[in-house]
Amino acid sequence: MSIYLPIAELSVNIWILFGMGAAVGFLSGMFGVGGGFLMTPLLIFYNIPPAVAVATEANQIVASSFSGALAHLRKGTVDIKLGLLLLVGGIAGSTLGVYIFSALREIGQLDLIISLLYVVFLGAIGTLMTIESLRAIQKSKKNGGTAARKPGHSGFIHKLPFKVKFRKSKLVLSVIPIIALGMLVGILAAIMGVGGGFIMVPAMIYLLRVPTNVVIGTSLFQIIFVTAFTTIIQSTTNQTVDVVLAFILMVGGVIGAQFGAAAGHKLKGEQLRALLGLLVLGVCIRLGYDLVVTPDDLFNVIAAGTEGGH
Amino acid sequence: MFRVVTLFALMLIALSGVQAKEKLQMGLSVDVVPVGSDFAGQDIVVFGAIELADQAELYRGEYDVFIEVIGDLQEAIVRKKDRISGIWINAAAREYRDVPSFYSLHSRNPIEEVVDPSVLSNLGIGVKYLKAKPVDRGNIEEFLTQGEFSSALRRKRIESRLFSENASSIEQISPSLFRASVSLPPNVPIGFHTVKAHLFKDGKKLDEVTHTFEVRKVGFEEWIYNLAHEQSLLYGILCVLLAIFTGWFANVVFRKN
Repeated sequence: MSIYLPIAELSVNIWILFGMGAAVGFLSGMFGVGGGFLMTPLLIFYNIPPAVAVATEANQIVASSFSGALAHLRKGTVDIKLGLLLLVGGIAGSTLGVYIFSALREIGQLDLIISLLYVVFLGAIGTLMTIESLRAIQKSKKNGGTAARKPGHSGFIHKLPFKVKFRKSKLVLSVIPIIALGMLVGILAAIMGVGGGFIMVPAMIYLLRVPTNVVIGTSLFQIIFVTAFTTIIQSTTNQTVDVVLAFILMVGGVIGAQFGAAAGHKLKGEQLRALLGLLVLGVCIRLGYDLVVTPDDLFNVIAAGTEGGH
Repeated sequence: MFRVVTLFALMLIALSGVQAKEKLQMGLSVDVVPVGSDFAGQDIVVFGAIELADQAELYRGEYDVFIEVIGDLQEAIVRKKDRISGIWINAAAREYRDVPSFYSLHSRNPIEEVVDPSVLSNLGIGVKYLKAKPVDRGNIEEFLTQGEFSSALRRKRIESRLFSENASSIEQISPSLFRASVSLPPNVPIGFHTVKAHLFKDGKKLDEVTHTFEVRKVGFEEWIYNLAHEQSLLYGILCVLLAIFTGWFANVVFRKN
């Protein structure tokens, strides 16, 4: 059954999109990530214009992160104060990101920068995650139990001024690295069409030393606002949010996420992280391959608006 | 009803056989092609008559009709990728003005068998003879077969079915009456399209007649598109609210299980 997307201006198969939403939702439910880093490239492979894919994906992540954050709020695993500070940086970053996005689209390098950012970030995070989790798996085999990773003290970040106390996280931290992290993730969210959980979560654990139990809830909490803000800015600046596309993906995504979460409970934490790491690396390699291999067609055409206007 | 009467009138004129300059008459089955949520392309019918023609020549089939469907003239940018430090990057680019967003040509026979290519080229009839104005050459018209960028533009449009030719889509109902089935692909551009019919005899153009129709989003699609462009802030907020509602709804539904 085909459906016409009013903003993307093309006719697509509704079940393929729904299936993509469900499949990515399944993985995101299983691994506890937003799934934007999988969905945006998938949409682009499916011929959705990158500008529409990125902006629409931000809208979809609002739904999945809201659904996830509600569950964490109920369990009390959200550090709201920390989330709000991350958000301050996130809003600033997102504004900047949408501006960069428009500028790149203007000069015709948007697709390239999106791909490059994906390759760099997915490559780095996928590698770190895979190595870390494989080590953990080895260790747990040797010790017969899971070795909890003891956060050490990363000197530099904890020496910064403007310290604030976070009761929930049992931390005293400078606001500078928090706002900077929020901002970085906000920029990436706007340009890459991701929530940024895959950067936010490891950064919170390894750089800010936030306890693991509040990391995902807090990350989801601030992602709701950053992606909501990105959606609004994208629609006012670029008019590229396709609500019909977003809605199909949202519905597929939230359903898939439920089954994914159930499947995730059957696996150990480090096994999950190893699988996620491999998945991230897979996407990275696929995108990197497209950048270096000679394309079938060197040319591309962009219709740049009607003259005279109707 | 009106169209049937028109057609009947055209037939009478056509059959009356007054010898004067031949004229073409044409009508379309629709004025608006609605693009709704189930839009997957549409066929429209162009019908018409050759009137004031020489009856003997008409019966010998010496007249030829070509029908062009031409979309809005747009700007287009063609970019070529180049390998820069191992990575394929959009490098050189050329910008064009007055590129038809859509072009399809309909005839009963391959046009070059009927009309001399030089005539077609002068008139710009046929995908081969389409022109556009490259901005870097001072907006002087050139054929879309000149140079690799122009050719790429033409080729890309052919691949995506935006430029096409069909040499068997005109059906002759009677010696003077014709009917063409014009199929618009799912990606037909939104906007006004001009249907131009040309009458040829002995390789010479005798008459031409034009009509327009509009491809327009309707209903929900029109509403969404207009909202997104005219009230983009409100649209963005509504998108966010829809997402929050969906997320909340999913959370409530699945919590019970």
